[in-house]
Order: sequence, then C-alpha cells, then structure tokens
Amino acid sequence: MTERSHSGLRPSRIAIHAVLILAALVYLIPLFIMLITSFKTPMDIRTGNLMALPSEWTTLGWSKAWSEACTGVQCDGIRGYFWNSFKMTVPAVLISTLLGAFNGYVLSKWKFRGSDLFFGMLLFGCFVPFQVVLLPMAATLGKLGLANTTSGLVLVHVVYGVAFTTLFFRNYYVAIPDALVKAARLDGAGFFTIFFRILLPMSTPIFMVSLIWQFTQIWNDFLFGVVFASGDSQPITVALNNLVNTSTGVKEYNVDMAAAMIAALPTLVVYIVAGKYFIRGLTAGSIKG
Amino acid sequence: MSQLELRGIRKTYPGIAEETLKGIDIDIASGEFLILVGPSGCGKSTLLNTIAGLESITDGAIVLDGQDISTMEPKDRDIAMVFQSYALYPTMTVRENIAFGLKIRGLPKADIDREVARVADLLQISHLLDKKPSQLSGGQQQRVAMGRALARRPRIYLFDEPLSNLDAKLRVEMRTEIKKLHQRLGTTIVYVTHDQIEAMTLADRIAVLKDGELQQLGTPKEVYDTPANLFVAGFMGSPAMSFVPVTVARGERGPEAEVRGEDGRSLTLPLPDYLADRVGQRVILGIRPEHITQPQAQKQDSRLVATGAFTIEVTEPTGPDVIALIHLNDTPVHCRIDPEHPVTWGESAELMFDMKKVVFFDPETEQRIAPH
Amino acid sequence: MEHIQHTPARVAKAPTRLLDGLQRWLPKLVVAPTFVLVGIGIYAFMIWTGVLSFTSSSFLPVYDFVGFDQYAKLMDNDRWLTASVNLGIFGGLFILCCLVIGVVLAIFLDQKIRQEGALRTIYLYPMALSMIVTGTVWKWILNPSLGLEKLMHDWGWSSFSFDWLVNSDMAIYTIVIAAVWQASGFVMALFLAGLRGVDSAIIRAARVDGASLPRIYWSIILPSLRPVFFSAVMVLAHIAIKSFDLVMAMTAGGPGYSTDLPAVFMYTHSFTRGQMGLGSASAMLMLGAILALLVPYLYSELRGKRHD
Repeated sequence: MTERSHSGLRPSRIAIHAVLILAALVYLIPLFIMLITSFKTPMDIRTGNLMALPSEWTTLGWSKAWSEACTGVQCDGIRGYFWNSFKMTVPAVLISTLLGAFNGYVLSKWKFRGSDLFFGMLLFGCFVPFQVVLLPMAATLGKLGLANTTSGLVLVHVVYGVAFTTLFFRNYYVAIPDALVKAARLDGAGFFTIFFRILLPMSTPIFMVSLIWQFTQIWNDFLFGVVFASGDSQPITVALNNLVNTSTGVKEYNVDMAAAMIAALPTLVVYIVAGKYFIRGLTAGSIKG
Repeated sequence: MSQLELRGIRKTYPGIAEETLKGIDIDIASGEFLILVGPSGCGKSTLLNTIAGLESITDGAIVLDGQDISTMEPKDRDIAMVFQSYALYPTMTVRENIAFGLKIRGLPKADIDREVARVADLLQISHLLDKKPSQLSGGQQQRVAMGRALARRPRIYLFDEPLSNLDAKLRVEMRTEIKKLHQRLGTTIVYVTHDQIEAMTLADRIAVLKDGELQQLGTPKEVYDTPANLFVAGFMGSPAMSFVPVTVARGERGPEAEVRGEDGRSLTLPLPDYLADRVGQRVILGIRPEHITQPQAQKQDSRLVATGAFTIEVTEPTGPDVIALIHLNDTPVHCRIDPEHPVTWGESAELMFDMKKVVFFDPETEQRIAPH
Repeated sequence: MEHIQHTPARVAKAPTRLLDGLQRWLPKLVVAPTFVLVGIGIYAFMIWTGVLSFTSSSFLPVYDFVGFDQYAKLMDNDRWLTASVNLGIFGGLFILCCLVIGVVLAIFLDQKIRQEGALRTIYLYPMALSMIVTGTVWKWILNPSLGLEKLMHDWGWSSFSFDWLVNSDMAIYTIVIAAVWQASGFVMALFLAGLRGVDSAIIRAARVDGASLPRIYWSIILPSLRPVFFSAVMVLAHIAIKSFDLVMAMTAGGPGYSTDLPAVFMYTHSFTRGQMGLGSASAMLMLGAILALLVPYLYSELRGKRHD
C-alpha cells in the first residue's frame, strides 16, 4: 500500500526535489556573488556581470578592505574595527552567558516569592524595541564615562542580552528533574555545589546554544554600535556600513564585497562549525518563549 | 537506628486555601518500616518531603531521636531518600553517585572507597560501578539509587514511590529485595506508595492518608481486617471490598439482615451479636471477595455462615481464583470462587457467605462500627 | 544497622546557622545584578524615554512638560507618515512571504529528503549574517547599472530593466526581498521542528481514512501547528518593527526618505537631527505597536500554560 503510493508519487517527488534545489540556489547565489566579486578587479566588474567568474583572480580587494579602504574620513581599512568587534563580543558573550546560567539556575531550581514575576520582566525585556532605551542609555553611558568605549558597548550588550541567555538556561534547567536537586541537598550539597557539580556538567549543550547565539547577535549588531560608539571604538558592522556608503571617490565593489566577507566570516564559521546549536537557539527563543 | 515522631504536622501552601497536611501525628519506632499510602494528592509525598526538610512545615514538630529537627536544613538532618525517578546524577559514574554525599561530608578517601565497596556488594552492583546511569537498566538504576542512600548510613531512610517506574515483574523482585534489606539491616524506613499491595507486603505499619488527614495507622492485618472507615476499607485490597446497604433485623439466633439478588431471590444473612443494638437501623455491610465462596463443608457449622443461590453476572478467571460478580441490594459485589468449582455467567450458583470477618459501617459517619 | 557512624556534619551548630542564613539569601543575591541591570536598562529607561517624549528636548534633554505636542507633531510629519506606511508594506509583505516560503520549504523537506541536513543548513545560513552584510550584498546585486540588469542584458534579455533600488516608489520592495532572503529559512526551521513534533499516528490514521497527502497537510497538520504559526508571526513582526540595519545598509532611508521605517526615523531624529523629543515620541509609538502585538500573544500563551 505504502509502496504503491510512493511509486505513484514519483513525478511529484521530482517536483519537490526541483523546488528544494532551486531554493537552495537562490539562498546560495548572493554568497557566491559576494565571493567572486571580492576576487575581481574593478575593470572586471565594469565589463563582466554578476555571475561571471573573475577573468583574473586577485586578492587586491581583500587587502585593500583589510588595511587601506576608507571608512569615512580615515583610510586604514577595517582591520581595527574587526578587532574592536572581537574585543567587544568576547567579554559580552561570556558575561551574559554566565549571568544567564546563574539566573536560569535560580529561576528554575531556587524559586522565591517574586521570582516568577522577575522572569516575566526578563521575558518582556526580550521583546522591547531597543529604540525605547537608546536615548537614556546614551546619556547614562556619558555620565559613567563609557560613551564611545568598547567597555560601554560590552555593558550595553550584557544588559540587553541577559534576558535571552536567562531564558535559554531557565528553560533548559526547568526540564531537569527537581529530584536531582533534592537528592543533592540531602547529600549535603549547597547552592553552588549543586550548580557546579551537578547541573554545570550537564549544561554543555545549552552553553553552546547561548555562546553561539550571543556571539552571532553581538557580532552582527549595528544599532548599538552606531549609536554608542564613534571613531576608533566602532565595531565592524558600523565600519562596513561606512565603507560601503562613503560617497567619496569611485565605488570599488570588490573592496565592498571583501569587507562584507570579512565581517561575515566569523559568524559564518561559527554557523558552519556549530550550526546545530545556532538553530536550537533560534527555535528555543521563539517556541518555548 | 533512630526513632521519629511526627507531631501535629500541618502544611499550607501560599495561595492555596485548603491545608495540604491537616495535623499528622505518627510515632515511628526505631527499626520500623512505615508505609504512607493513599491516592494521589493525599499529601503523602508532601509529608515525606517535610521529613526530609525539602519543604517547610507550617505547624507542628518533627522530632528525630528526641531532637526537634523541624527547621533544620536537609543536609543537617542526616536523612537519605530514594526518589521515584531515582534522581541519579547523570554525569557521574555509579561510583561517584554513591560517593557524592560522603565526599561532600569530607570523609577520607579510604573510608569512602570502603563504604562504596560495602554498599555495592550489598546490592550486587559492584560490576556497574564505573558505568554512567544512562547505561543502566531501570532495575539497576533503582539499586544504585538505594546504594546512594545506604552509603551514608543515615538515621532514617525515606522512599518516595521507588518502584513505580519499574515493570510489573521487576517491581515484585525489588519489593522482595527491599524487604530482605530491611530485615537484614533493621533500619528505620518511611516509604510512600500508592500501591496497596506494596503497602501490605512491606510494611510493619501502614498509615493511610486522604486529603491531608491520617485515616488509619496500624499493621497491615489491622488495616485490612478492621479498616477504620469506608475510605480505608475501599482503598486496601484488590478486588476492592464491596459495600452493601442493609437493614439490621432481629432474628431468632441474633441480629440478621436480608439481601436480595438481581433475580429477586433473597437470603437472610446472620450478623454478629454486637449489632444487636442497631436493630431497625441501616448499616453498610463491607464484604471482601474471599468471604463469598463456593459452599465449603468444613465452615458450614458456624452460626455466622449462610448459603444461597445468586445469578452470576460476570466471571473473571485470575488463575488461582475466579472472581465472580453478583448484585446484592442493587450493589455490585465480588466473590472469590475456586476454579475447580465451575460457575457460568448468566446462571445461578450456590454461594457461601462467611460473615465472621465482615465489617460494618455507619452510613452517616462512614466509620466502622466497632464490636463492644 | 550495626554501628551508626555519625557523620561530622551534624556536630557544628552556630557557624552552620550563619551559613544556612546565607544559603537562603544566595539565590536572590545571585540574580540581584541582573535585576538591577534590567530594572534600570529596560524599565527605568523606558519610563525615561516616555518622559522625554513629553518634553521639547532637542539636542539636549530639557525637562519642560509640553504635553502631547511631540506626538501631535509626529502625526503631522510627512516623514513619519511615510515611515509608518512603509512599515505596513514592509512588515506585511515580509511576514507573508517568509511564512509562505518557510512553510512550503518545511513541508517539502519533511518528505524524507535524503540531503535534508545540507539543504537545511543552506536555507538557514543567511540568519547567521549581519543585516549590514545582507544589505551590502543585495545593494550590489540590485545595482541599477552593474547588477541584475546588466546580468540579464548579458544573458540576452536586452529590454530588462530593474531600477527599484533608486526608484522611490519601489525601493521599499528591495528591502523586502533582502529581508525575506535572510529570514525565510528561520520560518522553515520553526515549522520543520513543529512538523517533527506532530504525532505520526495521526498521519497514518488519516491515510487509513483515505485522505491524500496534500489534504492531510492542509486540513490536519497545518491547523495543529497554530502555535508555531503564532510565534513565527510574533518574531517576524518583531524583526520588522525593529528593522533598522537593513535599511541603513541598502538605502539609508532613501531615495529621499522613501524607505524610512520608524526605527530609522527614530535614529535620525534623535541622534543626527537633534530632535530628541520627537525621537522619543516615535520610540514610544514603536513600543506601543509591539505591546499591541505582545499582550494578546502573551495572554494566550500564559492562559494555555495554566491548563498544564
């Protein structure tokens, strides 16, 4: 019965495959265009077309984007901003994930009067449009002397990332039976012992989810970067946007594309290496939320 | 070995009007195996958690060996617990699971090793020590969970439905195992279950709970033979006790009552003498399946035995017996009949009522009418 | 038990009491930093912005109460009107296209496709990119002279013309294209996860009843994925309302202000045009829009959970 219906569906299965493959091409083509354009000469770009392979492969675009291209008034390339992004992303990711892990632990295993309300507050924080906090945050960073600094950006990303990381960990720990914590308490373990000896060793997957999600979010952020940083402290996304939208001189699309590739590489690499956790982060945030 | 007193334990959860525990008083003797039994939501697990210190009590006192431990942290109470889900630490090996509590209490390594070896030997899990819980079968996990409790040599052991996640065959095996262990070690155990067979087979004494109130506390035999009220009577025993409303009448040789079958035929049942002062009143007759059998010559001579014919409505062979269903005074009643004595559904059969062990309840108070 | 060795834990009294007290406070102590950060960073700042929106603040905050002046100004502002209409067009099309593409891809992928893993990876990778990168690439692809148009001409379709990026009537649609490219894979992932959660016995039962596969999907499986549908709409709407990066990278709101979205409007007025009061008012309206979506959503979610 099943067999027959399968052979009967043959043409439709071919159609399904065709649609899926076509869709895959549509998703891949922009990456392909970005890649080949970045290896073209400006001449090639003017004479060839989007899909044509470079007639002469050159890394000129890449080196120029890295160290010479103009991002506004300065013309030192995007390398400084690339490292800025790292200096901002790594601490922000670590701090927000650690805070999230502890919060999630408390909000699932050590509930207190008002803890559910607190969790509700955090949950709501995931949805607030950041525009509504930009002006006060800018003023506060200025007062704290953190305006236009990487530390300031780290603080901002921790504040607005901790709601998500808490959500991840809380939902993960809620699924772990309470009996485990009870057993450990009877065994004589306290708050931190239970966390470090029992729960933490079980938390590798959710740590991966949180680290990867936060890394992608913070690395890719543009809004906070453009509002709270200027000049030397800007992250890569802001620099890329400045580079692409600089109106001075001749447009060099190979440089634009190389810069875009450089900005995209860290998150792409993370996605390819640990995509499984990235997808879990994406779906966890919205399904269980 | 330790002795535990529960004095007027009350528990109210914030936001819930009704008390979860309404003043529980139980004295548990040293070395006693006490079973808390009751339907789900009766408060038995809450009571166990309060003994462990995992939940606070609203009123009353928990006294262990003369010391009030009501407000102590769980870790200071020196109590071990075996959980329904086993709650084995998934990232630790069996050895580490058993050793965890000892390590936290700062025992020297040599002592820990010796203790783990002793427990593993006792429970025959020595070959599993280096495995992770996920590599074990349900029965093995169960043993490890018990091992973890035993290793600490606590003053009291608490078991929270430890066998309910096992399949039927394994459950019977582990039941025997636990009984042997208790007899060998003589430990004080408080054990929660909703399975009345487990309660009957394991307990020194059974505490039956319902809606946060203690219904009866007694040996399995007491609870089974002289249940305190309708609830206990219906809860203990399978198939359950049948309840037939009857009116007590004065007979020539003592009190008696008439019961009518589905087909209209009736039988006069002799009642024990202590019901003489209830003549003319309605009582509820509680009769267990084993009290209604095929006629047995050796029992016939008693005054409290009667025989009559009733229509068999359903028969359920269980192997050792056949459970037959009849109706008495429009109430379904189960009888336990020897399979060698065939009965057929839809036909009438002679049945013998042994009224010696039958119990009676007041329909108003639902309490058992005690002999006086 | 023969001999009871009383473990040392029971001996200590006074220090334990102190530690126990600390233990009781530990959970609260641990979440306190987050409580402060979020309490100030989200809630206090939200109120602060609300206050600013009732003042005439321009380059610097001034705390003079001017009532609903800024909101009234906003309603009369052509640019805000354009931004709101754009949000309607962009949000509507973006959500619709993402849902259709995402659902179709998810259902097709659910047909025991051998290369499912690889395909899924490909559909979803744009989600890992920064919107700025996405914008940069699509800006290049849709470049009126050197991009798609030239490609079509080279391939022999000489009459093909595509100038949406610089056409103030059409530019908003180029942003929809780029956004759909980026986010539709995400909807696919959501629905695929949902489809995997459907009890296969239901499908078998429907087959026994003689239903065709498309019919089973349409009338049994998709209706059972209502919650997934709602959370997808919720997340997409959220992305749409916050959309800022993509516009900045592709058109910077242009040509003119034809592709302005509320988020761009808010940024421009608050940080480059020195109209803090007006910017705050626009931010509050964005918050209002999200609340209008969020409150019914959370309400139904929580009500659903109560029944567990």
